[in-house]
Amino acid sequence: MFTELNSILNSTPDSFTQGEFILLSDRQSDASFLIHHFLSFYLRARCKVCFLGLVQSFSHYSAVSQRLGVSLTQAKEKGQLVFFEGLKESLSILIPQEGNTESQAMDFLRDPAVGLRSLYEFVVSSVSGAGRAPEGPEEWGPPVLLVDDLSVLLSLGVAAGAVLDFSHYCRAAVCSQLQGNVVMLVRCGGDEEEDEGDDEGSAWLLRGLTHQCSLALHVQGLPTGYCRDIHGQVEVCWRRRRADGQHTQTKLFQYKVHDKGASFFARGTSSAVL
Amino acid sequence: MLTSHCTMLSELLQGNDSGGFLVIQDSCRYSGRDLLRSFISSALDREEVVHVLCFESSEEELKDGLRAPGLQRLHFHNAYSDPLGWMDHSAFTVDKFSFEELTHLVKQSPHSRPATLVIDSLTWILRHVSPPAVCKTLQQLKKGGAVRAVAALLHADMHQRGTVGSVCHLATSVITVSPGIKGDEALAKITKRSKSGKVLQDEEIFSIKEDLTVTIQNKPSHLGHKQADPEEQQTDPTANLTFNLRLSDTEREAKEKLALPFMFSKEKKTALLHPNQGSGRILYEPDANDDFDQEDPDDDLDV
Repeated sequence: MFTELNSILNSTPDSFTQGEFILLSDRQSDASFLIHHFLSFYLRARCKVCFLGLVQSFSHYSAVSQRLGVSLTQAKEKGQLVFFEGLKESLSILIPQEGNTESQAMDFLRDPAVGLRSLYEFVVSSVSGAGRAPEGPEEWGPPVLLVDDLSVLLSLGVAAGAVLDFSHYCRAAVCSQLQGNVVMLVRCGGDEEEDEGDDEGSAWLLRGLTHQCSLALHVQGLPTGYCRDIHGQVEVCWRRRRADGQHTQTKLFQYKVHDKGASFFARGTSSAVL
Repeated sequence: MLTSHCTMLSELLQGNDSGGFLVIQDSCRYSGRDLLRSFISSALDREEVVHVLCFESSEEELKDGLRAPGLQRLHFHNAYSDPLGWMDHSAFTVDKFSFEELTHLVKQSPHSRPATLVIDSLTWILRHVSPPAVCKTLQQLKKGGAVRAVAALLHADMHQRGTVGSVCHLATSVITVSPGIKGDEALAKITKRSKSGKVLQDEEIFSIKEDLTVTIQNKPSHLGHKQADPEEQQTDPTANLTFNLRLSDTEREAKEKLALPFMFSKEKKTALLHPNQGSGRILYEPDANDDFDQEDPDDDLDV
């Protein structure tokens, strides 16, 4: 959890806007540090978290979260975190082994044309238990869905339209019905101009998700090239009217990722420059 | 509820003629949903019956900011929570988007008057229903009597240009919105086709307040770059000079009296034509050297 980002987004684990769809995206850069931020943020906020980790193994996320001061193993044991490990689940479908109870969630691997309905059903079943705790004394807050990342689904052969349907259903269920939050990451490779005519690619998916989201964080490399002290820039765009009546608003920050956190600063105010 | 009363945008929002089909085109840089909600708000204020077919926002989001007295005439058709029928308890699925279904839906309401149909958004429908089928349904809605007018949102950057083009060809008015220069301002490009076939185009800058009233600023052609830098407009280049650019009356008189050296006055002319006698005269007496003989040019040589 990065406190500087919290103050930019005007949220703390104790008070944050509910019902938000936060879109993370990157282009020729890496926005996964934001996924780790939101994972630790919502675990600290005592939300019921469902994490679809399609890119890395559980131990990877666990190791990073440990550095940010949150234990994923404990959260899992307490029933706060439902971790979906895409790498393992897909393996059990591709190489079926006896005695392995395979879940339906990754059904789309057998036939990408069926869409992501089964994955959505998995999400609903894991977040709908929020609020009441059947096997423990602890009670969790609003449900949160995190996805890292949607572009993997495209690589697995799912159509971009099906991904948009999935995100729409997740938004309708988690944000609107249960008043929870959704955080999704999507990656765009290549140049902006290259993707313009692309009808079903990641850029098209990003545009579709931007229409759906209420807050977008877009990570880019520096336009001037590599720099040791500034790792890139984040464009923060609020797409809904906020409580103070402000309209669509965009702010640009530069950032540097440290070992145990990240610092955000206005353009040109890096400590290496000043 | 509009502050300005003669612009095309306010005209469109205030009440289009029956059989009208308004398309609000936006992109992911600026959302046209607020403008669509302003349209709903002003339609309700005119005592119209409004049916909303909502795919992209929930009922709460849509109704937020609408004034209570009109809400009973607003009929919300929830296509948001289950548009594809995944959960088996949907109110409206996308495959029901046909003339018969929509007519049936609109006629279910207790009001007998023809209603205004608002679609949020056509993009959702176009992703699942083929464009020709969508265009056919829209055309039938325009002609059929159940619906008085149709207004729809379209995310233009989600479709091929041809699809956007064919939908906009059906529309009687198209408003394309894009972000403006200043904070909450936006730019609207309006194309309006009147029944006579005349096409009017205009550009306007507008902003939407929290209670969904639309404020229309001056036209961008009058403002344009001038507004971008008001300081430049005000500065007077002759304001802080170290020398005097202007003349007082006495100074001007003195200036006009002065004859410049190249001016040719009468005195000068006479002075040149009749020089004074006896003042300076050249006396010349030829000597031997001046006696030059043309026949013998070498006469002066001692040979």
